[in-house]
Amino acid sequence: MTEDAARTRTFAAGDWYAVVGEQVTALIPADARARVAGLWDLADSGATFEAVLDGLVAGGLSGLSGFALVGHGDRTRVLVRGDVTATFHTPSGEVAVAHETDLLWTERTLDGVTGGRISVGATSEQSDLALVAGVARASAVQFGEAGAASAPVEPTQPEPEPTPEPEPEPTPELTPEPEEPAQAPLTFGAPSGDDPTPTGEQPAVDHDGQTTIGTPVQEFERPQIGIPGQEVAPAVVARPVAKLVFSTGDVVDVDRVILVGRAPEARRFASSDQPHLVTVPSPHHEISSTHLEIRPGAGADHGMAVVTDMGSTNGTVLVQPGLPPEDLQAGIAVSLIPGAILDLGDGVTIQTTNA
Amino acid sequence: MKPVDLHHGSASEVGHVRKINEDSFLVAPPVFVVADGMGGHSGGDVASRIVVEEFARLAEEGYDPQRGAEVVAETLSRAQVRILQYAEAQRGTHPRWHAGTTCVAAVLVEDQQHTLWMLVNLGDSRIYRFNDGTLDQVSVDHSVVQELIEAGEITPEEAAVHPERHVITRALGSPEGVAPDFFLLPLAAAERLLLCSDGISGMIEDAVIEDILERIHDPRDAADALVQAALDAGGRDNATAVVVDVVGLVHDDSYDSERQLASLEDKLGARP
Repeated sequence: MTEDAARTRTFAAGDWYAVVGEQVTALIPADARARVAGLWDLADSGATFEAVLDGLVAGGLSGLSGFALVGHGDRTRVLVRGDVTATFHTPSGEVAVAHETDLLWTERTLDGVTGGRISVGATSEQSDLALVAGVARASAVQFGEAGAASAPVEPTQPEPEPTPEPEPEPTPELTPEPEEPAQAPLTFGAPSGDDPTPTGEQPAVDHDGQTTIGTPVQEFERPQIGIPGQEVAPAVVARPVAKLVFSTGDVVDVDRVILVGRAPEARRFASSDQPHLVTVPSPHHEISSTHLEIRPGAGADHGMAVVTDMGSTNGTVLVQPGLPPEDLQAGIAVSLIPGAILDLGDGVTIQTTNA
Repeated sequence: MKPVDLHHGSASEVGHVRKINEDSFLVAPPVFVVADGMGGHSGGDVASRIVVEEFARLAEEGYDPQRGAEVVAETLSRAQVRILQYAEAQRGTHPRWHAGTTCVAAVLVEDQQHTLWMLVNLGDSRIYRFNDGTLDQVSVDHSVVQELIEAGEITPEEAAVHPERHVITRALGSPEGVAPDFFLLPLAAAERLLLCSDGISGMIEDAVIEDILERIHDPRDAADALVQAALDAGGRDNATAVVVDVVGLVHDDSYDSERQLASLEDKLGARP
C-alpha cells in the first residue's frame, strides 16, 4: 500500500473506538474505554504494531471481548478477536479475516494490500468521515483504496437520502460522543503538524500531548490524614504545649513538629508548618538520622506533647514519672507527661517539662 | 550563610516528537529550578520561563536563608500571579486559552544550626537524591496515578503504563491555587541532587538514572548523559536534567536513611 493510501482513513460513526496512528489502525470495544487513551498515546507516538499490541493486551485479554488491530508497513499484519470483520484488497483478490473460534485471536500477514476495512460485526454502514490520526467513536474504519466488496467512499451510487454530513472535515476535529468526559486526557488532531498553538480546543490538555493538568479525578477516595473520626493534629500551635530540655543544652518549645536525630530531614510539609529540626551528636551512631518526632497532640492528647519513634535503628527508651522504662514502638505515638525522659542513645536524653 | 561549594550540570532537549521545548531550568547557585510547561507554543514555554525568572530574582537579589520556606512560597506566589495575568491577557483573543507549569526547586537555607537543602515540588517533575550509591526519589508527584498508588488502587508498575499517568493534580497556573510540598534535607543526606522533568523520569527507569549518577562523576556529563538516555529511549517529551553536587563535605559514610526505612518496614510491616 502506498504512503498516501495508508494515511487516508475513513470511518463510520458507532459505539466502538477507532484509534488511528501512523503505523496502526485499531478498533476497540466501547467497554474497553480505559485502554483507549493509552493506545492513542502509543499510536500517536508512532509505535509499531508490536508495541501497540503490547499496550492493548497489557490490561489482560479476558476483559477484552473483541478488537481488530492492523499494522501498516511493507507487509500488512492483522489481528482479529471477537465479533469483528476485516477485509483486505490484495493483488490476488479479496481476503477476509474473521475470528476463528477456539483461537485467542486470528492473525494474518498479507502482502501487497492496497486497502481494506475493519468493522464491528458485519455492519455495512458507510464510512464517509475522514480521519488522519486520532480517536473516534466508530463502527468501521476503512483505509487505502476502496475495493469492490466494500462500500465506496465517494457517493457514486444514487442515494435516496444524503448523509447528514456531506462535507467531511479534512482534519480530524472530532467531537467525542457527549458522554465522553471533558477531562478525558486524550489529545485530538494531528500532532505531526505545525507547532501546537493555544487554540484551547481541549481545555486542560497539553498540546504537546504529554503532561496535562486535570482536575483531580473524583472517583477515588483521597487518603485521609490521621485516624478517622479523630481530630487531625495541628501542625503549629499558638502556645507551646511543653518544653524539651536536651542533655546537649538545647531547649526547644513544642509548638510545632520537632524532628530529632543525627541528621534529621523533613518531608512533605507546607510552607506554614515547617518542622523544627534538632541535630544531636552521635559519635557511636547509636542515634538514627531522623530518630524521633515530637509534636503537639490532638484530640485526647490535646495540650500535651506526643512522641513517635521514626523507626530508629536502635530504638528509644521512655521513662515516664513513676513508671518503669518502656521501649517506644516504631510509628506508635505516646503522649508525654511532664517530667518524662527520652533516651536516644549515645548519652543523649530529652526531658519534657511544662512550657 | 556558610559558603557551600556546589558543582552543577544541566541539559535540556526538545526530544524527538515535540516541536518546541516547554521546559525551562535555572542554575544560579544556591538556587536550582526545573519547570515543565504545559499549553503549547507561547503558553507552556512562557509559564515555565516565568517561574525561572522569579527564582532567578531570588538568586540575584539574595534572600534570608533563615526564612527559606516563606521565601520560596512567596516566589511561587509571584510566579502564579504572573502566569494567571498572562493567561488572562491571552484569553482576550483565545477564550479558552490555558497554560501552566510544574516546578521543582532546590534552594540552600539555614536553620538554627546548619545549612540545609530546602526542596519544593508542584506537579510531576521530580527531585531525586543520590547518596552512598543509592537513588531515592524525594519529591512525591502531584498526579492522578500517585494518588491512586497512595490509595492502594494501583502499583507503581501499573502507574507507568496507566492512561492517566500524565494528568497532574497541582501546578502553577492552575486556578485552584498553589499548594507546594516542601522538604528539608541535611547536605550530608544529599551529596548529589537531580532535578528533572518527566521527559527524563517518564522515559528511563530509576535504575538507569541511578547507574548514570553512580558512573558519571562530573555533574555536567551526568546531566548530558541523562538527557541522552531519555532521547535514546524514545524522547517522547521535552527532557531536562539539573545535577547538583555538594562538594567538600566530610563524608558521613554511615548515613542510614535506607537502613532506617528497612528497620521501620521490619517493625511496622510496611514502609511509611
